Amino acid sequence: MTGTLAFQLAIAGVSVGSIYALVALAIVIPFKASGVLNFGQGEVVTAGAYLALVLTTLALPYPLVVVVVFVLGALGGVLIERVLIRPIVSAPEFTIVIATFAIGLLIKGAISLRFGDSPVSIDGPFGMVPIEFANLRVNPTSAWILVCTAAVTLAIIAFFKYTRMGKAMRAVSINAEAAQLMGIRVSSVYRWAWGISTAIGAFAGLLVAPVIGINPEIGSLILRGLVAAVIGGFTSVTGAVIGGLAVGLIETYSGVLIGSAVKNLVPFLLLLLLLVFRPYGLFGAAEIKRV
Amino acid sequence: MPMQRGSLVGACVFAVLAIAGAFLGSYPTYLLNLAMINVIAALGLNLLTGNAGQISLCHSSFMAIGAYCTALLTARLGMPFWIAIPAGASAAAGLGALLGLPAIRLKGIYLALATLGFLQIVQILVEEFAGVTGGVRGMSVPKPAFYAGLRVAQYPLYLVVVACCAFAVWTAGNILSSRVGRELNAVRLSPHAAQALGVSVARVKLVAFSLSAAYAGLAGGLLANVVGFIDPTEFGVSASLRQITFIVVGGMGSVAGSVIGATVLSGLPEVLRPVKEYSDIIYTAILLGFLLFLPHGLVTVGERLRMGVIGTRQGSE
Repeated sequence: MTGTLAFQLAIAGVSVGSIYALVALAIVIPFKASGVLNFGQGEVVTAGAYLALVLTTLALPYPLVVVVVFVLGALGGVLIERVLIRPIVSAPEFTIVIATFAIGLLIKGAISLRFGDSPVSIDGPFGMVPIEFANLRVNPTSAWILVCTAAVTLAIIAFFKYTRMGKAMRAVSINAEAAQLMGIRVSSVYRWAWGISTAIGAFAGLLVAPVIGINPEIGSLILRGLVAAVIGGFTSVTGAVIGGLAVGLIETYSGVLIGSAVKNLVPFLLLLLLLVFRPYGLFGAAEIKRV
Repeated sequence: MPMQRGSLVGACVFAVLAIAGAFLGSYPTYLLNLAMINVIAALGLNLLTGNAGQISLCHSSFMAIGAYCTALLTARLGMPFWIAIPAGASAAAGLGALLGLPAIRLKGIYLALATLGFLQIVQILVEEFAGVTGGVRGMSVPKPAFYAGLRVAQYPLYLVVVACCAFAVWTAGNILSSRVGRELNAVRLSPHAAQALGVSVARVKLVAFSLSAAYAGLAGGLLANVVGFIDPTEFGVSASLRQITFIVVGGMGSVAGSVIGATVLSGLPEVLRPVKEYSDIIYTAILLGFLLFLPHGLVTVGERLRMGVIGTRQGSE
C-alpha cells in the first residue's frame, strides 16, 4: 500500500467515522443522563435526512435548513421523552430496550408510509466536485461533515463543562437522587438530554443524506454508532467520538486490505470481544450501578 | 390441579387441530402451520426472556441457523426431513450454548447489544457465503421426503408441525414445573439469592440460552420445510422483535402466554389485510401499548378483571 493510498483511505475512514461519531454521541448523551439507551436513535437520523429532503425541496437556504433540522429534531426528542419514555423510565430494562426499539420502528413505519421505500438522492451544500491537493482528493461534503462533527463535539464538551444545565446533567448521571436533593430538576435534565440527543441525530441525518442517499434503511447506521459507543465506554463524550472514528477507519482499511465480508463483520466481532473483555469500553469509567 | 386441566385442554386442542387439518384447504393449512411455528419460537424465547429474565435480540438468528442447517442437509446431502430438522435444532442449541458463554457475563443493555451483534454476524455470514446459502437471493428448500423418492404430502407435513408444536408446548410446560424451571425463575427474580441457595446462575443461564435456541432451531427447520424457501431478511432484527411482541402480548414467563400471543398475532396480518400498508405501524403500536399499559400480557387480563370486580365491590362497601 502506497503512502498516498493509505492517506486517502484515512480520509475516507475519518469521514465515515465522523458520522458514526455523531450517532454515538446522540446515543451516549441520554444514556449518561438517564441510563436509557435509545435503540431508536437510528430512525431519528432517518427522520433528519427526510426532513432535510422536504426542506430542500421547499428551496430553503442551507443555513436555514440546518437550523430547522436542529430545532425540530430537539422538539421531537422532547416530545418522545415526555410522552413515551418518562412513564417507563423506572420500568425493567427489558421494557425500556424494547420500547425504544418500537419507537424507532414507528418512526420508520411512518416514514416509509409517507415517502415510500425507494431511495432519493440529495445534493450536498458544496457540490460533489472533489477538492484536489498534493495528489489527494477530498470530497467537499466529507470535509463539511468532518468540520460539523468537530464543531458539535466541541460544543457538547463545552456544554458539559461550562453551562449550568451541562453540570446538572453530570450530577444527575452520577447520582440522580442526590442531584434532586441539591435542587436540580431531574425531569428537565432528562428532557434536555433527549432534546440534545435527537437534535444531533437529526443533524447527522442531514449531513449523511448527500453521501449515502435517502431511504428508510438509513437507521441501520445505529449499529455502527452502538459499536462506537461501546468502544468509547458509553459514558464518555470524547470516547464516543474516538470510537466512531476508530470504527470508520477499521472498516475502511479492513475493506481494502481483506475484503468486503470482513469489512462488514469486523465492527460486530469487535463489539462482542469488547463486551466480553472490556464491557465499559476503552474510555469508560467502571460500572455505574443503577439500583 | 390447574396444570392437569391445562394439559387436558392442550391435548384436546391439538387433537382437534390434527383432525381439522384433513378438511382444510391449502391456504388455511399454511396459516395454521405458520402460527404453530411461531408458537414454538415464542415458547423458546419465553423460557429465556420471560423466565430466566435474559434479553435476547437474536432469537431469529437461531431460527435462521435451524432453517439453513435443515435446508442444507436436505438439499446437499439428501437427508430426509425427520433427520434434518432435529439436526438443525441441535445445531441451534449448540450455537446457543456458544453465544451463552460470553452472554452469561452480561446483563441488561450490554446483553441486548451482544445479542444484536450476534444477529448481525449471522446475517452477514448468510449474505456473504452466497455460494452455500444463496446469499440475499435466498435458497429454495427441497420438498420434504421420508426417504429418497417418497415425498410428504401437505397433510402429513401439517401433522408433523402439529406434533412438533404439541411436543414443544408439553416440554415447555414440564420444564417450568420442574427444578430447571424453578431455577430459571429464581435467576430472573434474584440472581444473588439463587446463587446463595446453591443454584449455579451461570449454568442456568447457559441452559436457558441453549434451550431457547433449540426451540428456535426447531421452528426454523419446520419453517424451511413448510415455506420451501428461505432468505436472510426473514431472520432479521424485525423478526426478533416480532417474537418479542408475541411473548409481551401473550404474557411473559407463561406457556399459555406464548401460545396465546403467537396465535393471536399470527392471525393479525390476515385481519389487517384491508389496511395492509399500516400493518407494520399497527403491530409496533400494539407492542408499545402492551409494554406501557399491560406489561404482563393477555394471560393476566382475566385475573385483572376478577380483581377489578372484587376491588370495586370492596370499594363500594
